[in-house]
Amino acid sequence: MIHPMENEILENWVEQFTDELFKWAYYKTSSLETAKDLVQDTFLVAAEKMHTFKGDSSPKTWLFSILNHKIIDFYRKKSKKPIAMENNIISTFFDKDGSWRQDGSPKNWHDEEQHLLDNSEFKEVLKRCLDSLPEKWNTCVKLKYLTQKSGEEICQELKITPSNFWQIVHRAKLQLRDCIENNWFKN
Amino acid sequence: MKKLMTFLFLSCYKATELIEKNFHFKLSYLEKIQLRMHKMMCNACTQYEKQSLILEKGISKMDNKAPNIDIVALKIRISSKLHSFN
Repeated sequence: MIHPMENEILENWVEQFTDELFKWAYYKTSSLETAKDLVQDTFLVAAEKMHTFKGDSSPKTWLFSILNHKIIDFYRKKSKKPIAMENNIISTFFDKDGSWRQDGSPKNWHDEEQHLLDNSEFKEVLKRCLDSLPEKWNTCVKLKYLTQKSGEEICQELKITPSNFWQIVHRAKLQLRDCIENNWFKN
Repeated sequence: MKKLMTFLFLSCYKATELIEKNFHFKLSYLEKIQLRMHKMMCNACTQYEKQSLILEKGISKMDNKAPNIDIVALKIRISSKLHSFN
């Protein structure tokens, strides 16, 4: 049960902070629906815990800390979902001795790095290829840049071991690189 | 002999795994040497590392700015949820 006073305060916060919270949640998740849900959940938690808010921090800081917890929860759940075909990926690119298969090995991109990174069409292809990865892989590849955290910290938050983490990143990058080569360099 | 070779120079599979590990964690001294030796002899993996770095940089610069949404609608949705929670 929320006190009427608290209710009014909450309403104010919704009015004031929804926009910023949403932008942050979107930045962290790249998904409209997820971002909306996370902001909504943030306010529900805030309503529930209103009595613990002492005003030591600003309401904005408090709401953002709730949202950040929600975001981590969201990624943690995602990273637990098992995905099929984990090992098939490896055999698409390497033979059983671990050497590159002829058709799987990296081709020369013949392009300057800076040139690529400034090209908005290339960035669009990169985004599409990232989105086509299995969710768990996508998360592991992006989390470092979204959270500015070290590999160790990411593993702690996702509750996976370091070797599990870099193996996922390895598979993700193999597939990502291949996707870019097929969709960008072959056109 | 082949075993010794793989230990010293790594397979391409292992080498690319270390390349990815290196983006997130510190490699051990042995791993560093193994990787360096492997790249000296392997064009494909050298290529892979360059391209993988480009991808890392691309991902780090990715524009994740939120598109414009009907923020009023979202506020209304949240308020009504809060009321039903009440």
